[in-house]
Amino acid sequence: MAQRSERRRIHLDQSDLLCTKGCGFYGNTAWQGLCSKCWREENQRDKQKQIQDDWALAERLQREEEEAYASRHQKAQSQAAVTPFNKFEERKTKEKSSKVNTVTKFFTPSSKTPPKKGSPSSCSTANRPSSADTDLATREFIDFLKPLKYGRQIFRQCRAFTESMAYKRDMGVEDMSECVQDFYQSLSERLHTQFKGTKMLYVEGIMDEVERYMTTRLYKEVFCPETSDDEKKDLAVQKRIRALHWVTTEMLGVPVDEEIPEASDSVVKAITDVIELDSKRVPKDKLACITRCSKHIFNAIRISKKEAASADDFLPTLIYIVLKANPPRLQSNIQYITRFCNPSRLMTGEDGYYFTNLCCALAFIEKLDGKSLNMTSEEFDRYMSGVQVSPNWPPVDGAALTQVHERLDLLSGLGERQELVMERARQLESDLIDWTDEVEQNVQSILETFEAPVSSAIDSDNVENEHLPPPLTPQVFAG
Amino acid sequence: MAAAGGGGKSFSFKVVLLGEGCVGKTSMVLRYCENKFNDKHITTLQASFLTKKLNITGKRVNLAIWDTAGQERFHALGPIYYRDSNGAVLVYDITDEDSFQKVKNWVKELRKMLGNDICLCIVGNKIDLDKDRNVSTEEAESYAASVGAKHYRTSAKLNSGIEELFLDLCKRMMEAAQVEERSKGNGGGQSASGRRGVQIVDDEPQAPPTGGCCSSG
Ligand SMILES: Nc1nc2c(ncn2[C@@H]2O[C@H](COP(=O)(O)OP(=O)(O)O)[C@@H](O)[C@H]2O)c(=O)[nH]1
Ligand SMILES: [Mg+2]
Ligand SMILES: [Zn+2]
Repeated sequence: MAQRSERRRIHLDQSDLLCTKGCGFYGNTAWQGLCSKCWREENQRDKQKQIQDDWALAERLQREEEEAYASRHQKAQSQAAVTPFNKFEERKTKEKSSKVNTVTKFFTPSSKTPPKKGSPSSCSTANRPSSADTDLATREFIDFLKPLKYGRQIFRQCRAFTESMAYKRDMGVEDMSECVQDFYQSLSERLHTQFKGTKMLYVEGIMDEVERYMTTRLYKEVFCPETSDDEKKDLAVQKRIRALHWVTTEMLGVPVDEEIPEASDSVVKAITDVIELDSKRVPKDKLACITRCSKHIFNAIRISKKEAASADDFLPTLIYIVLKANPPRLQSNIQYITRFCNPSRLMTGEDGYYFTNLCCALAFIEKLDGKSLNMTSEEFDRYMSGVQVSPNWPPVDGAALTQVHERLDLLSGLGERQELVMERARQLESDLIDWTDEVEQNVQSILETFEAPVSSAIDSDNVENEHLPPPLTPQVFAG
Repeated sequence: MAAAGGGGKSFSFKVVLLGEGCVGKTSMVLRYCENKFNDKHITTLQASFLTKKLNITGKRVNLAIWDTAGQERFHALGPIYYRDSNGAVLVYDITDEDSFQKVKNWVKELRKMLGNDICLCIVGNKIDLDKDRNVSTEEAESYAASVGAKHYRTSAKLNSGIEELFLDLCKRMMEAAQVEERSKGNGGGQSASGRRGVQIVDDEPQAPPTGGCCSSG
């Protein structure tokens, strides 16, 4: 099918080959039927227009926000506006005794690493996230807010806050987290007042987008930041999990029978999902990976046990999955979610429950000893040192994991090749444009040189096509 | 009772289920949320995280019930599960003295870690097996009173006492939330702990003022 339509394209009408703008040059399907000149003009115009639109919108937002602010400021200073900066200053002077016991605390006992010395604030400019991602996030955020009442105000505030945070990297990630969390809280409180009478879900939907925009923008600064020892811990966890490769389903009491194909299939999917966690930027998207992983685990349990999974079944299976998957930067991902996720989602939502179980799994793995696997510490040591080998490692289980890793390798390989192809394609496109230009120029100069004789040779009703390249063009290409 | 559009507040609560294995935690929550007991038709994918929506005196309540792994080897993970909980349901089996001892340990730990920020329910389950009872109701009730908890008697099998347990717990959590809300209002709203505490959100239109001039004219 595809081949035939390709072929048919070759036998097009002469007029179909011309630039659709009617300028008389040859068009090209790759340039949406335009000639190189018109294509470039159009393209340029589109880009220019987009840039101008964005600027105009940003400027309008700014202006309107300032006007609104000015009038509100005069009328009532009592209205509780979001003032994250003041809050931040406040916090800096305030002792930090009132903090709640968070997961963060659970994993990082007492020692707080001081910020690394000699990280000039200027380098935060250089390390800002690749503009493509953040630009897209900004655009999507604006598109989302456009139709909303107070949309501009929300955008202005979020942008101002996020920009200010991006340059405060050296303040330490825990303090940044506090600031962001305060911002979420005061913004959501205000939205609940402003949108009084709407469903609770409405404001939550807005807060989701706020989180998406802000975390995408701040990701590079706050994910596994160099001011923390997250990276060191990631490596330690990775090593620890590798050392525990011998742990079996029996030792953990995992109620999954991997002999059943559908169950082992669910196990593989769960492993893939928990590995994918690291590839997402937005906390909500990361949580979605954990939730998908959990649902696959439930499925594996249900198939094996013929009953709905309880926490007694779920947690050991999740631990097993984490051991199999050895997810990249697990510690950093957990910290990042804890620090920058909208807290209501972690507290009462379903995603929060699965996330909490993942935290439990990691804590269990870190502390795991002989007793937690119902064996003596001598036996445990023998396994750890490799003297003793577990009965069914690696044949059945190993196959699934190997498969996953092979697939991942394949995928990343494909990704690289895709990029290479894209790059070459772009190169080819620009080469083609240059080449056409060259041909046009050549033709022009030849035409000019032989102006009189050539024009007399041209058909009188074909005047508008006088700039057509001569039919010898294909020969040049073939040569 | 269910006078809609009253205060217009809605509550979200997190409740953890704690207790030794086999005391009936999972059975209780499945009975409460899905009205099932030992159901062999597995239509539920999982019974570890369940939710229930209630309407209590015109206020909407979203209850999230977190099952926890009861095996001894997971005991140390308790704090990760119960942090930010508004309530805890501590279950023992009335035929199993040991399981009541476990509940006492949980109470100690919870009071130590969370103080009085959490509503505690001590639940003696399997009251249908009264002939094999090994924990006296009086003892359990007086213990509960001594630690500021409330005691309940349930049977997941007979569906007895479970609705009452969760309804009562919700009312207590609502009260606690409103107390905190009020103290936050007075204290100038600077508390950082409020952020990760209960969420109280206005989410219903305020009822239009009743009476007034329109009715006469
Ligand atoms: N007789 C009786 N058995 C119960 C009751 N609740 C649970 N069980 C049984 O106790 C066993 C353990 O229940 P389960 O919900 O899995 O306990 P969990 O480990 O605490 O979650 C199961 O066989 C249930 O059928 C009850 O109220 N009465
Ligand atoms: Mg259970
Ligand atoms: Zn053209």
